[in-house]
Amino acid sequence: MTATQHCNGAPLVVYIEGEMTIYRAAELKQTLLTPIAEGAVLEFDLSRVTELDSAGVQLLMLAKRTAQAKQSELRLVAHSPAVLDVIGLLNLGSYFGDAPVSRPRAA
Amino acid sequence: MNAGAQAQQRMVVAPKARWVEPRQSQYLTFMLSAEMFAIGILRIKEIIEYDTLTVVPMMPECIRGVINVRGSVVPVIDLSARFGRSLAPVSKRTCIVIVEVGAASERQDVGIIVDAVNQVLDIPATDIEPAPPFGAKIRTDFIEGMAKIGGRFVVILDINHVLSIEQTEAIAAVEPGAPAAPASSADRMA
Amino acid sequence: MDIERALQTFIVESRELLAAMDDALLGIEHTQDLAESVNAIFRAAHTIKGSASLFSLDYIVAFTHVLESVLDAAREGSVKISGELVPLLLSCGDHIGALIDAVEAGQLEADEAMLQLGAPLLERLRAYLHATPLPVTLPATVRSVDSLAVDNDCWHISLRFGRDVLKNRMDPLSFIRHLGKLGTITGIVTLPDAIPPAEEMDPESCYLGFEIAFNSEIDKAAIENAFEFVRDDCALQILPPKSRISEYIRLIEELPEEPAQLGEILVKCGTLTAQELDAGLEQQSRVASGNLIGAILLEQGAVPPAVLEAALAKQHQVRALSVQDARSLRVDADKLDRLINLVGELIIAAASVDLIARRTRNVELQERNSTLSDLVEQVRDNALQLRMVKIGATFSRLKRVVYDVARELGKDIELQISGEDTELDKTVVEKIGDPLMHLVRNAIDHGIGAHDVRAGRGKPARGTVALNAYHDSGSIVIQVSDDGAGLNRDKILAKAVERGLVEPGRNLSDAEICDLVFEPGFSTAEQVTNLSGRGVGMDVVKRNITALRGSVGIASQAGQGTTVTVRLPLTLAIINGFQVGVGNTVFVVPMDMIEECIALSLEDGQEFTNLRGQVLPLIRLHALFDVEGGVGSRQGIVVIKHAGRRTGLVVDALLGEFQTVIKPLSKIFSSVKCISGSTILGSGEVALILDAPALVRQAVMRDTERSGPAARGSDLAGLVPVAA
Repeated sequence: MTATQHCNGAPLVVYIEGEMTIYRAAELKQTLLTPIAEGAVLEFDLSRVTELDSAGVQLLMLAKRTAQAKQSELRLVAHSPAVLDVIGLLNLGSYFGDAPVSRPRAA
Repeated sequence: MNAGAQAQQRMVVAPKARWVEPRQSQYLTFMLSAEMFAIGILRIKEIIEYDTLTVVPMMPECIRGVINVRGSVVPVIDLSARFGRSLAPVSKRTCIVIVEVGAASERQDVGIIVDAVNQVLDIPATDIEPAPPFGAKIRTDFIEGMAKIGGRFVVILDINHVLSIEQTEAIAAVEPGAPAAPASSADRMA
Repeated sequence: MDIERALQTFIVESRELLAAMDDALLGIEHTQDLAESVNAIFRAAHTIKGSASLFSLDYIVAFTHVLESVLDAAREGSVKISGELVPLLLSCGDHIGALIDAVEAGQLEADEAMLQLGAPLLERLRAYLHATPLPVTLPATVRSVDSLAVDNDCWHISLRFGRDVLKNRMDPLSFIRHLGKLGTITGIVTLPDAIPPAEEMDPESCYLGFEIAFNSEIDKAAIENAFEFVRDDCALQILPPKSRISEYIRLIEELPEEPAQLGEILVKCGTLTAQELDAGLEQQSRVASGNLIGAILLEQGAVPPAVLEAALAKQHQVRALSVQDARSLRVDADKLDRLINLVGELIIAAASVDLIARRTRNVELQERNSTLSDLVEQVRDNALQLRMVKIGATFSRLKRVVYDVARELGKDIELQISGEDTELDKTVVEKIGDPLMHLVRNAIDHGIGAHDVRAGRGKPARGTVALNAYHDSGSIVIQVSDDGAGLNRDKILAKAVERGLVEPGRNLSDAEICDLVFEPGFSTAEQVTNLSGRGVGMDVVKRNITALRGSVGIASQAGQGTTVTVRLPLTLAIINGFQVGVGNTVFVVPMDMIEECIALSLEDGQEFTNLRGQVLPLIRLHALFDVEGGVGSRQGIVVIKHAGRRTGLVVDALLGEFQTVIKPLSKIFSSVKCISGSTILGSGEVALILDAPALVRQAVMRDTERSGPAARGSDLAGLVPVAA
């Protein structure tokens, strides 16, 4: 359920597990926004996201925007089917600028 | 749609903060020149002990002055003088009852001086008689009804009428210092 | 969505737009940039029409539509805004204003009277339309905008979800999914612009908006049905396929202001596909600092020019707005009033702490409290500053008065405005409009003579009325001047004698004579032209200004013109007051009325004293008010000055200066003279504020009654001998 994160070489990878929905919105906001720091490179691994709703989407969008504002790089990687579905539905591919591929990149 | 149905249900369930509406049948009884009166508690905002009040010069006797009620300046009326009797003497038990009078557009708070407040009573509607056409000691149009309390009749005041803005303004407009002010209203009494 | 609030916004904004329209119309003859003025007028009408349609105020839409058509013709140049069209357009603006007033009063349907009022205007407007048939075919130009349909088979759906959607357990995504089942979503843009900065963002509020191009056989009602459950919780706009371009333009202009990118707007409109946009963006990055994207897209023939123009206009507006937004924000006036009330309470509370500190003689407490008082004072000044508005808007409204009055009287008048950035309290501004309007009317009506008269005196035919405003020691001074003939001294004096305001043969100074025009009963039938007939006399102007604790004076030079000077306090909420004791009661005298305080040294019963060789009439407040408590042994005199005249108030104690928060008195006391309001002392007791001008008048009345019936009933401050 909770997100775990660990440093793996240069980019900081945040693994997000379970649902990204209104029911966890407050906790998610912490999880997604806290690691964003000046100049850092950050990856959200979404492979274990089971569900994504509007609350989750807007938090991801906010995280992306916040990262851009701080000159840091945020990539969404390893989108789970649930994530891909929503990104496709809302045509958000270009907003996040990641190739929405489900194949996990080397962890 | 499922989400929608949930929301609608939720809206029904969601409790709205609302005061428990006091029943119409509750009345405050108080003393004025050794006589008991009652007013419906819906109009009463608070009751404060008589302390000092600021006299507004050149006003008729029945308008005793103004007091500070939580930052608002509120006029204080001497009900006894309003009924054409002598000014209520101030004692330890003298209180000022703050009531809200006027229609929706022109609500204002007014304080009334009473000799003592007694209690809040439930008076069932069956125990309330209409105002007698004559025989009461005050004008009938000031009377909302006659309540039977403990075997005797108590006048329920139509406080909105007693303190109606037009009426009190008219009193206030009477030439200051003219002693006739309270007396003239007494003349009109039935 | 809160319809009531949205409607309020509509009302407020419509009035602003109408004011802007008036402004532009009045300035149109002298404007440097005619096209921009015409555009501004058009935009005002256009936006009101668009917003009115949101609230289904069809009668406003219908009326404004015709107006808009005429203005559109003016934009094309086929109709010229000049001559008779200007007053017609002004009247149309007035009519829309009246319709808006009715909306504010709760009337959301047209009634017969309204339609009747509007009909003649519409008829006159239509005459302009018929006289100039619109060029029907101007392909590929902006002008043909209304006839062009977008080549697109999609519905366009614009969605803005309300903040509470998520909390109500509804997910916008599910509605979009559902929509997808009813047809094909051919394009969608998710708008995150409303998401606030991270620290302010409430993760449980919804900030998303969507622009959707939707291909389906279903009808509009069916699409609306898809959003049935969130109908109250979202703003939904639907445009059918092949809508006219003007509809898209309307949509673009009505979308909430967000720093939207041009490309996104075009996608939102359903006019461009994402591919076209991508291509455009690509090319833009290649050109880098070269052409604007608008031009590039146009080159590619991707967008009808009219849509592009609207999008660019929108973007321009958004940019202009965002610059402004960064510097200012719109706050509900009620909120400010509440804040200022609280600051008032704070001052009273601080005064009470100060009282206790001094009573207990705790030095440390007194010191700390004095720091606190300084801060409270600063908070007070800053809070009052928030409510300060520029007087410019009030002046601007007078432009219209000048225009109307000058037209009616057949005079050529120029209005000069200066000091429009001078600020004063909003509550004062609201009340000064009418008196100023009367002063301006008067200036044109009586001050400035007809063409031939002016020509005979060697003046330019065009008369000048000037408005000026500036700050002067805690007051705002507003001047209304004209370059007319000036007041006729002899005529005024003759009239005053005739009306029994002045005894015949009395010798008056020029200033005293000028002041006579403010006397009640001075305005005469002879003076009341058709115009002033609906106005009021100068005495009412003076009374209104005095009610605002202000003063008004008039100065005139024969042949050169007349200047009326209005002096007003900057705020009505808080004043500096001087406390005096009368018997056991404390009264407050506004500081700005006080000249000095002196000790009383005279025998009992005297009604005058000698102030440095001058007679000072006295009012014994103790006797006047018949207050309880003995006369103090340290009686003093507060010398107040009003309208050039001094009066001494005999009080039982001089208690000192302090800040006073003015509390209104109940209407019950409206008949009480000599008291203008009340305030709450540090002790929690109420003190009454003395109405100094009324007291002066009272003293004058008393004196004039004694000096004979000729001047009875007047309050000719200047006519009673001040000097012995």
